[in-house]
Amino acid sequence: MSGRGENPVAPAIRVTDLTVAYGDKTVLWDIDLEIPRGSMVAVVGPNGAGKTTLIKSIQGLVPRVAGVVSVHGRPYEKQRKEVSYVPQRGSVDWDFPTSVVDTVKMGTYGDLGWIRRPGKKEHEKALGALEKVDMLEFAQRQISQLSGGQQQRVFLARALVQSASVYLLDEPFQGVDATTEKAIVTILKELVAGGKTVLAVHHDLNTVSEYYERIALLNVGLVASGRVDEVFNSENLMKAYGGKTSFFPERKAARRAV
Amino acid sequence: MSPHQFDIQLVAIIVAASCAIPGAFLVLRRMSMMTDAISHSILLGIILAFFLVGDLSSPFLIIGAAASGVLAISLIEAVNRARLVKKDASIGIVFPFLFSVAVILLSKYARNVHIDTHSVLLGEIAFAPFNRLILSGMDLGPTSAYVMGSILLLNLLFISFFYKELKVSTFDESFASSIGFRPRLIHYLLMAVVSLTCVGAFDAVGSILVIALIVIPPCCAYLLTDSLFRMILLSVVFGISAAVSGFWVANWLDVNIAGSMAFVCGVFFLAVFLLAPQRGFFGIMREKRRQRMDFAEASLLVSLYNQERGEAVKNHPDSRGMFRSADFASKVVEFLKQKGEIAVAGGKLFLTEKGRERVRTTVEGR
Repeated sequence: MSGRGENPVAPAIRVTDLTVAYGDKTVLWDIDLEIPRGSMVAVVGPNGAGKTTLIKSIQGLVPRVAGVVSVHGRPYEKQRKEVSYVPQRGSVDWDFPTSVVDTVKMGTYGDLGWIRRPGKKEHEKALGALEKVDMLEFAQRQISQLSGGQQQRVFLARALVQSASVYLLDEPFQGVDATTEKAIVTILKELVAGGKTVLAVHHDLNTVSEYYERIALLNVGLVASGRVDEVFNSENLMKAYGGKTSFFPERKAARRAV
Repeated sequence: MSPHQFDIQLVAIIVAASCAIPGAFLVLRRMSMMTDAISHSILLGIILAFFLVGDLSSPFLIIGAAASGVLAISLIEAVNRARLVKKDASIGIVFPFLFSVAVILLSKYARNVHIDTHSVLLGEIAFAPFNRLILSGMDLGPTSAYVMGSILLLNLLFISFFYKELKVSTFDESFASSIGFRPRLIHYLLMAVVSLTCVGAFDAVGSILVIALIVIPPCCAYLLTDSLFRMILLSVVFGISAAVSGFWVANWLDVNIAGSMAFVCGVFFLAVFLLAPQRGFFGIMREKRRQRMDFAEASLLVSLYNQERGEAVKNHPDSRGMFRSADFASKVVEFLKQKGEIAVAGGKLFLTEKGRERVRTTVEGR
């Protein structure tokens, strides 16, 4: 890629031979994937393709049958602080008794390490992140009172305070309002512009070319990965979705060109 | 209050406080019934430790008991992780098994020993004052106050050291793991603490009261607050109040003390369940009624508004056919008249300027 001046020594994420199984069911099979630094990458594939599992297994949250993951050229386990994770919004209990600002503060816990408690500095950081996602006025709100879009913003804010260089997001646009979607895309693009790397599970094929520069098409195995304008085509989509898609990127591109 | 009564209440208060602290996390982790599993499984540990050391008052019995609590948790996790049965079923498989092994061992090899299943389940806090800690001739008070006091101290230390870790791993386990904490380790530490608390408490008050004191006060607190820290504090307050008032209820009715304390816990929950301002039964009913009325008022106003502007309306407002009953319709009209948002002239309804304003701001603004 041009314009970045240096030849990156190692990709932001390198996944080699990654295989994951739940019981006797193979969920991911022999994935080899490289995510260049400073790129914004969509993980796309049908339900059950292993998208969430990919995000989780990169971080060792589900056991790998085989495979190695490195971040900036070093094993993930040594680079944990470089990676920030935004889980699916629905994966937690939003009735948990805590406030918005305290939830965001959890993003600082990693740097604090064991036992040390968050103080004023962490509080300021959390407020700063809330300001970035335009949620400052909700800081003291109980999290159960948030809408889906607001919950997602809080999760993003929690990831932002981690000051990591790689962001892994699991369906950040799932069930959020249009304003939130635009706001999140803007923030993610800013991160990428600042040299960070973003890898997000994405569902809406309509917005892939608008939001991302790269894509990884997944269906248990890796179908294709690369620049959106090169690999996001109907041939690869058919391979990934097994004919169960009626979306043709070429047509959309043609429409846009008119 | 006799010294005897004082001692019983002292022990009960310490037990209640030490149960409520880990209890808050168990309830939030949806693991309340783990307490049941632990409190039954520890019998096996007690018996095995007794066979090893041959002394009923040995501290090894407590360690053995706590270890078997952790064993029960690990077995439940193992059965659970195999994904062959559901989580609640794995609890139901493991602890009756461990408990029955203990019962068989007990009836086969320890018939003459004074551990009986009855006292395991019910305990007898009334005897707490008789077992006293005497050091070089000085009576220092009931032994169980010291045992439970140490456990309470341990629980306090545990949550003050690991509050942040417990909080994040309870709220979002994957995230906690991704930032380098070890939720599994925290889980087992919490379970060890719960086990130890159960062991100490069940000796003092019996396992049913232990379950009641671990589960119910945090549930009451959960319905009343939005902050984890306040939830823990309130749990302790509820636990202590239930213990003390339970004692006096028992005294008054001349019934079993532990049973009466557990009963008061249940009464507390019922009261909170019904009366909690926002999440209580009546609170929710009130809120629903308010929303229903709000919606009815708005639909009547909008209908009048549309009619005023000559738009077609589905249900003519004057017919009031939009409401489920004539009674409800006149109630809505009455409320709106009181608020000055509509007026009635010649049997017809009209919007006032105030009513028009409400339509514009609340309905059209959406």
